[in-house]
Amino acid sequence: MSSATAMVAAEEVASRHALGRTAALAVTAVGVATPAGLDPVELARAVLAGRQGSADTEGLGDEALPPRGARVVPELQNAFAEHIGRKGNRHLDRTTRLGLLACQFALEGHTGPVGPRTGVVLGTSTGSIRSSSEYSMETLRQDRPYLVNPSLFPNTVMNCAAGQIAIRHGLKGVNATLAGGHLAGVQALRYARNALRQGHADRLLVGGVEEYCAQSAWGWHRSGALGIDAPVGEGAAFLMIEPAAAVHAAGRRGLARILACETAFAGGRGLGDALAAVIGAALVRSGKDPAEVQAVSLGSTGQRGLELVEQRAVRAALGGRLPQRVIRVKDTVGECFSSGGALQIAALLGAWQDQGAAAAGETAVVTAVSQEGQVGCVVLDTNELGTGELGAGGLGD
Amino acid sequence: MSEPGTRRVVVTGLGAVSSAGIGAAEFTAAIRAGAPTTSEISSFDTTGFPHVHAGEVKDFEPREWLRRIDPGQWGRSSQFAASAARLAVADAGLAEEDLAAARAGSVMGTTSGESAVIEELVAEWAADSLKSMTPGRVAAAPAGRIAAAVNHELGLTGEALTLATACSASNYALGYAYDMVAGGDADYMLAGGADSLNRWAHAGFFRLGALAEEVCRPFDVDRSGILTAEGGVALLLEPYERAVARGARMYAEVLGYSVNCDAEHMVHPDPTSIAACIRDAHRNAGVTPEQIDYICAHGTGTRTNDATEVAAAREVFGDRIPPISSIKSIIGHTMGAASGFGALICCQALYEGFLPPTANVEQVDPALGAGVDPVPGSARPARPQVVENHGFAFGGNNAITILGRVS
Repeated sequence: MSSATAMVAAEEVASRHALGRTAALAVTAVGVATPAGLDPVELARAVLAGRQGSADTEGLGDEALPPRGARVVPELQNAFAEHIGRKGNRHLDRTTRLGLLACQFALEGHTGPVGPRTGVVLGTSTGSIRSSSEYSMETLRQDRPYLVNPSLFPNTVMNCAAGQIAIRHGLKGVNATLAGGHLAGVQALRYARNALRQGHADRLLVGGVEEYCAQSAWGWHRSGALGIDAPVGEGAAFLMIEPAAAVHAAGRRGLARILACETAFAGGRGLGDALAAVIGAALVRSGKDPAEVQAVSLGSTGQRGLELVEQRAVRAALGGRLPQRVIRVKDTVGECFSSGGALQIAALLGAWQDQGAAAAGETAVVTAVSQEGQVGCVVLDTNELGTGELGAGGLGD
Repeated sequence: MSEPGTRRVVVTGLGAVSSAGIGAAEFTAAIRAGAPTTSEISSFDTTGFPHVHAGEVKDFEPREWLRRIDPGQWGRSSQFAASAARLAVADAGLAEEDLAAARAGSVMGTTSGESAVIEELVAEWAADSLKSMTPGRVAAAPAGRIAAAVNHELGLTGEALTLATACSASNYALGYAYDMVAGGDADYMLAGGADSLNRWAHAGFFRLGALAEEVCRPFDVDRSGILTAEGGVALLLEPYERAVARGARMYAEVLGYSVNCDAEHMVHPDPTSIAACIRDAHRNAGVTPEQIDYICAHGTGTRTNDATEVAAAREVFGDRIPPISSIKSIIGHTMGAASGFGALICCQALYEGFLPPTANVEQVDPALGAGVDPVPGSARPARPQVVENHGFAFGGNNAITILGRVS
């Protein structure tokens, strides 16, 4: 490499990593498929009213289900046929269907361009555990272990739903699937933030999917991780995430700003201390005072040993109080594992949408804790993107 | 608070748990020799399978390598990942407490996560019912535990991210780790991947007609498909300045990467999209096509892969395709760890001065056209300066990393 070329290359790399280091992200659309409906406002109303989502598990396969509450997206086949169509979709599993549906709604609500540099960041835990475990089961049940259906093989890989979403909408940009369990929402936003910041993509559909099935319902039931009354649920939520500056420059407005998405690993520390520290760090990064937080959307409801840890940590980080609005989505949608984080945010956005002008100036934190030791926090606010005042917050350092 | 601008990022530690040996030195020696390390499968019952060879990690005793986590509570993929990460840190000559005290995290790629655990649970389901699943094994099933295992084992307090973009996942991980270190979000990142052999993938690839009987021969006229495989790999990334300050051995510099999506078909790769990914990776790394001295191919051993990969390379490199070889001919297809093993051997190629070979090539398929040099046989002495590492996946998830010799 000539030294001149090397210099230009180094400058390019330097400017890339400096790019947008202080840029906030805008959520410009949201789409959901939940046991409480296919609309974020419906979801928010159900959550805030303490209404349970649908518990109808008809048609979810032949396996007996555990004696525990369920929350299931009602009439998924019909909704799918209506909004996506049946043609060529015979082999799609429930995880992929939920993902396609939520992304469809997010794209319908997106007012800007889509273009070639649009991508997908999808949070999961194991992909469709029903698809992979049934495939494995076939190798045991068939006369010959290889007599599995080749058309169903792609359903066993965890990136299946993100790949299908890309195919349906022609999204050739960054396409990532991450296995984050309870941290998947925070992690998907972090992955997206980095991809946008480095200029790898212009806008990203960011979310999570978890399907209800006998395998995961029994898994939760057997694991002992859930409280006795905690229902197992399902759902998908996707946010259209774009750099706030680009949205503003195009004369569009977002639903909310994402000011921080922080994560850490507790390791030897207590989970609670680690979470409190991460919330604190996220608020500092957002340029927000703990006293400014009016809402929290919790992630560990129903999780034995984690629920109280999470609440204590939020209290500790917010000056000894819980904010006036505490959103617990799991009473409505059930334990949704890797889509829980995205649903926590979607419910919050739905509530803000429902309130209209009354939500102006509100700041919220969204928290996540995993059994393995990961903790995370997202900070959002309703700052009017249209005013051009992006405030002191941002995703810089 | 991070520094403004960006930092150069180097690889200072390598760790491998593979059919070709445990530890980067053993692994590298096996690759250089070009002798396949695949064998008959023993980790699951192969009765009734016509093809029973794979790149299985034999005699892996997790307690030999792991000091913190209890192997009994973790799945095989997590054990591979944590062991490889510990090996990488030791290889980097970095004191464990120094790493734990720093802003350090891990990002690991995988295809099927804890598939061996899932199959244990499926066996319990088959034997009785879902009701009889062992709680401890259920807890070990989430794929996100793979990176968590690394953080636990090494006492890291930063991010623990598991990327599940199937067979290009380690390249995704390496790219993300590079951004985190370059942008100042972390001072050390372990990047790599892990996967375990499982019946369902073995059956699925066989049914797709993509599974070789015994020998994997990418680029050869008689190739017949892939060999499934398993293992764990980790690379330790840190800022160049820090590595210099602590007198670390620097295997390679991470120059850049790109990821994109075919958005065409779930299992048939698209050469135009891959070519676009190669170009973007060059742009991101600040290099030109003529600077690439070697390509570590995705090279699964299927006809489709060879045709697609060579066509994509031709679109970018014209008639001067750099030497392009596939280590899958030696260790099989380690799925989510594959591009991590590719990155590891790229680092060694840059540091030691050789081109990794493709084993089992007797006659390069003339249908691939002129100028395809798969480095047949054993390693070739060379002084590559900049190399390109390919990873493609089901779902159209392409990821390409560019590594350079540290100068």
